[in-house]
Amino acid sequence: MKKYDVIINHKGIIDLEVIDDILLKLKNYLHENKIELVIRKRVYTLAVESLDNIYKHADHSIHIQKIISEFPPRFIVEKICDDFVIHTGNIILESNKEKIISKLERINTLSQEEIIQLYKKSLSHAEISDKGGAGLGLIVMAKTTAQKIKYDFDKINDKFFYFAMQLTIKK
Amino acid sequence: MKTINIASTEKSPKVFFDPRKHVFEMEGNSRPENVRDFYYPIIDTLRDYFEDIAEKQTRSETNNAFNFNFKLEYFNSASAKFISDILVIIRNGYDKGINMKVNWYFDEGDDDMKEVGEDFSEMISFPFSFIMVKR
Repeated sequence: MKKYDVIINHKGIIDLEVIDDILLKLKNYLHENKIELVIRKRVYTLAVESLDNIYKHADHSIHIQKIISEFPPRFIVEKICDDFVIHTGNIILESNKEKIISKLERINTLSQEEIIQLYKKSLSHAEISDKGGAGLGLIVMAKTTAQKIKYDFDKINDKFFYFAMQLTIKK
Repeated sequence: MKTINIASTEKSPKVFFDPRKHVFEMEGNSRPENVRDFYYPIIDTLRDYFEDIAEKQTRSETNNAFNFNFKLEYFNSASAKFISDILVIIRNGYDKGINMKVNWYFDEGDDDMKEVGEDFSEMISFPFSFIMVKR
């Protein structure tokens, strides 16, 4: 098996069809390369939750199509030795930036045990939005990676930012 | 008496409920496209059934237990919310005197799936039986 591999390198709109294609490709790779079951499922979990986040939360309205063509959503999965690294990117509205930062900062200060407690508490209080999200995606990501979530925001203009996130699964 | 019999797909689990057999079972993957449309009818059926029989029943250890078999391979965070709603129905039924049993299956080596079950069990303060499946 290669020490370094790019398993998925997607740049462009992320819709349900694209998500299914990516997940199938990822599942096949993990299976064919006989990746350990726990790691396989963690990588898959992170992929589902992060693709879902892009699909449900990216601020994709029709009038920003020009910006999307310049700053397309991205989803990359790399294998580096025994680790897996997922990179995501999507446009967000400036007005949502602070909310995302405060969620991520809060999660990044918690220990793994505290994240599990937060997950349990959030599950019992979660409500499913019209988009079908439970608001648990970031908590599940933190619980699954067991690493701090790296992220960044690049300013596109006064209204939009490009939100990039990096998640790692260590063996 | 309402039963549930939903076949599995790549994205949604098999769901089976037959009150006469005292069995509820979920098996497979759960990341349905419309998670509310998938789970609301299941939850309504279970809630209505157990609320209805709770009024008629007194607990007896000799009564056949209702077996809830969770044989899940993967579920996303939105599905987790609904699975926890089903577990709350189980807990409430038990509190009202119905004999309930939760069997949580996990594949050999899938420690995370076992832990998720342990977390759910702790969340509803109800013991699960953990069953490891060798593939």
